[in-house]
Amino acid sequence: MSTIIEFKNVNKEYKSGNHILKAMDDVNFTIDEGEFVVILGPSGAGKSTLLNLLGGLDSVTSGEIIVNGEHVESFDDNQLTSYRARNVGFIFQFYNLIPNLTTLENVELMKDIVDVDINGLEVLESVGLGNHANQFPAQLSGGEQQRVSIARAVAKQPTMLLCDEPTGALDSKTGVLILNLLQDMSNNKNTTVIIVTHNALLAEAADKVIRIKNGQIENMIINENPKKIDELEW
Amino acid sequence: MLAKKMMRDIFRHKAQFISIFIMAFLGVFVFTGISGEYIGLEVDSSNFYEETNLADGWIYSPYLNDMFLSQVWYLGATTEMERQMVVNSEGDFENEPEITLHFVENNTISKFYLIEGKPLDINDSNGVWLDKKFADAKNLKVGDKITFKYENYTIEKEIKGLGYSPEYVYHSSPVAINSDPDKIGFAYMSYKAFPEDSVPYNVLNVKFDGTPDNYAKILDYRLKGYYNSFIEQSDHPSVNRFSQEITKHKMMADIFPAVFIIITFLILLTTMTRIIAQQRTQIGILKANGFKNKTITLHYMSYGFWLVLVGSILGFILGPMILPRLFYPSMMRTFVLPSWAPVWDMSFVYLMVLIVAFSLGVSYYAVSSISNEKPSIAIKPKPPKVSTSGFVEKLKIWKRLSFNLRWNYRDTKRNKIRALMTIIGVMGCSALLIGAFGLYDGMNEMRDWEYGQINHYDSKLIINEGASVSQVNEVTNEVNGKTIMEGTIEIQSDSVKKTGSLLVLNDTNLITPTDKDKNRIEIANDEVSISQKYADLFDVGVGDTVKWHIRGSDKWINSTINKIHADPLSQGLIMSSDKLENLGLNYTATSIITSEHVNRTDDTIKTTITLDDIEKSWEETSETMWLIIYVLIFFASILAIIVLYNLGLMSFTEIEREIATLKVLGFKSKDLRRLLLTQNLVFTVIGFILGIPLGSYILTMMWQSSGDSLYMIPSLTITNVILTAIITFSISIIVNLMFSGKIKKLDMVESLKGTE
Ligand SMILES: Nc1ncnc2c1ncn2[C@@H]1O[C@H](COP(=O)(O)OP(=O)(O)O)[C@@H](O)[C@H]1O
Ligand SMILES: [Mg+2]
Repeated sequence: MSTIIEFKNVNKEYKSGNHILKAMDDVNFTIDEGEFVVILGPSGAGKSTLLNLLGGLDSVTSGEIIVNGEHVESFDDNQLTSYRARNVGFIFQFYNLIPNLTTLENVELMKDIVDVDINGLEVLESVGLGNHANQFPAQLSGGEQQRVSIARAVAKQPTMLLCDEPTGALDSKTGVLILNLLQDMSNNKNTTVIIVTHNALLAEAADKVIRIKNGQIENMIINENPKKIDELEW
Repeated sequence: MLAKKMMRDIFRHKAQFISIFIMAFLGVFVFTGISGEYIGLEVDSSNFYEETNLADGWIYSPYLNDMFLSQVWYLGATTEMERQMVVNSEGDFENEPEITLHFVENNTISKFYLIEGKPLDINDSNGVWLDKKFADAKNLKVGDKITFKYENYTIEKEIKGLGYSPEYVYHSSPVAINSDPDKIGFAYMSYKAFPEDSVPYNVLNVKFDGTPDNYAKILDYRLKGYYNSFIEQSDHPSVNRFSQEITKHKMMADIFPAVFIIITFLILLTTMTRIIAQQRTQIGILKANGFKNKTITLHYMSYGFWLVLVGSILGFILGPMILPRLFYPSMMRTFVLPSWAPVWDMSFVYLMVLIVAFSLGVSYYAVSSISNEKPSIAIKPKPPKVSTSGFVEKLKIWKRLSFNLRWNYRDTKRNKIRALMTIIGVMGCSALLIGAFGLYDGMNEMRDWEYGQINHYDSKLIINEGASVSQVNEVTNEVNGKTIMEGTIEIQSDSVKKTGSLLVLNDTNLITPTDKDKNRIEIANDEVSISQKYADLFDVGVGDTVKWHIRGSDKWINSTINKIHADPLSQGLIMSSDKLENLGLNYTATSIITSEHVNRTDDTIKTTITLDDIEKSWEETSETMWLIIYVLIFFASILAIIVLYNLGLMSFTEIEREIATLKVLGFKSKDLRRLLLTQNLVFTVIGFILGIPLGSYILTMMWQSSGDSLYMIPSLTITNVILTAIITFSISIIVNLMFSGKIKKLDMVESLKGTE
């Protein structure tokens, strides 16, 4: 398996007044193509910061982020925009669907930014929402909305899926459903999936577990035999 | 505590609340400013009229003997009367100014208003009381001598006093379009100052009880044939012109504030609805903690209340202080009043109370939805508005529309009030601009029509009243000109009576009447033509008959109308000299017109008016017009900026999260900017298109209120529409650019952090 993501001595500082906060403190790691990665850590540890830097939503203070051989930290705004469009599928805690567009339109929206022919209905069916295509987000439950957001993210066939607490707003049963879906994406479609979560249990299902504390990597574990999500004891 | 919350909320929505404040301020500012100005004029003029005991009417007659006077007295309604001998004289100055002399019997009616010197003394046969404006222009002081020439008399008197007269608030003259104090004036003297023993009185000033119409009727019944005409106060040229000016201002005071006040309420409504939707949960918590509905409702109602209250109080104070100062100077050049003081009126307070009450109502309407909900429901976030698919989405074409169009269509559907507000704002802006440029176009059109299509002479020589026919003929031949006769007439129908002008032409192509489409028309030798405006006013057409007489003559004539002409500046009848004489009237030439450029004054010619003079006085007349045009453009722009900025801000904060999401997904800032720009432009286009007919309507209203003597069909020129479009769209795009910047700087991570 080839390395697809590499963090080299990544630092991220936030200045507030004359106080400097190190949200990312000399972070180094690599992720291989198709890996199912779980990032664990207490609140405020810097998990979201890590995802945002990787996803091109924010820029590093120093260090290198290399994705597919490209130096993301050196991109300007326009390059970042097209990097996000081509490589990154984001999934957030609060779904962030476009309320004015139907489910199907939310998915097919991606046609406007990437040169991929998207069959929205097919993608929706793959997340089990084929019969909700013409409903608006407000008419769906939280779990359904999150599935639309996954459909939207995978529709453009990104290099990686970045999921920031994707089950945070869902009940545990629905949460399992979502996580299952994400693991399938990784296993069957060879998409790299990175999930941020509080839930330490999920570690058993990951190919790689990265634990973060105070902006630093506490440890990193590689699971030779990850369990299926279904097999976990919730 | 709640007060603190209010301050923070207001601060967070500062743009909206500043707009509410400014709009409420401007509405009241403009209303009280212009009202204070025109009510001030009304009060100042009526005080002036009262103090000087302005006549209720004037009876013109050559037979003002004791017999006549006692007849007038026995009409019963007459309460006061007094004779005057009023004549035009020529001042002994290089430019031969026209001075109207009043030899008065007593001066208890239409009294001379003294500014300096000693009061008018009826026993003083050596003194003259002179028009102060004229005296100032000529640098004359009390104690100086002044000489008037009238017929064969040369009258030299000592200036005993300077002042004003209620009959000369506006001093018009055939010599100048505008009242030029250097060329025109008036003077009062005792009857004892008249060079002959017996004074040939020609005007009787009267005060009477009852309505002028009644008075005119009994006068006509008892004394018909013994007097030439009777003018009631409201028809007096000075009084009439001044009250027309006031009407014009009153109309402005009514139209503009309405626009601002409507916008105030719209912004207030949308802002409060938004705040309350956002704070639903907070409200639920407050309620759950035992706050009374009333307390909460009052809390939210107070937001708009304070701002509207402070804004309108400020407008109320500043309006009458500032706006009249802007208007009075240009008016002082045309009108003469002893006092120019703006006035505070009770109606200002009513308006304020009304606005504040209405704003409370609007806030209440916005709050009422939430205060009726159970806390347990209110505490949960309100489910987002569900979009629905309408028939448009069912159309085949929908699928092929770009994301931009689809998104904007749905966004508009979900935010109808916001859309409506923008459209109304843009509509108001473009209507005001159309009105402003339309006024300008109209002024130019009038000038081109009058001096390009109708009048082709270069100089107009005004003939001295005393000049003989042979003298006139001599000059006419010398300058290769033609004589014309101009006079004032009264036209009467069963219900309407109007003063107009008579123009008698002598087969000339220096004056070529036109119809209302500005096409030249021929008025044959035996034809009578009435101006379009009067044809409409009297509701007559070709073949109908009108009854008229020359002012100063009691010979009434019935004429059949053969033609209808149109003239932007003068309304009345046109005919040939043959026709005039056929009707039994004398043709007395009053001017000679010629295509040569001459400038002469002598025994025959009183003064010469050249096109240059007319050009100059035209510019002066247009000055007030320009002021109005600037004010209109200024307010139109403010209106558009505020409305569009508000809409932009409101929609931006509402969709900030969506924009951030789209950015995260990889949409380019450029495309997202286009998203907002599209919406903005579509609304601007709609508002602009709707604004055009509204603007034309405002324009028509403005021309209609500009007086009986003006005739203009307001036309909408391409330039007008283009200029309006340029300004409206520029404002729209500039305001939009302010938000484009925000899209680029938008912090995706921040915007997506949790919900509010
Ligand atoms: N925009 C910001 N400005 C200042 N500090 C920030 C900002 N974003 C995050 N932080 C700080 O950085 C640290 C890491 O935050 P984050 O990555 O969001 O943690 P989490 O692991 O809970 O996702 C926290 O202490 C947070 O307060
Ligand atoms: Mg986080």
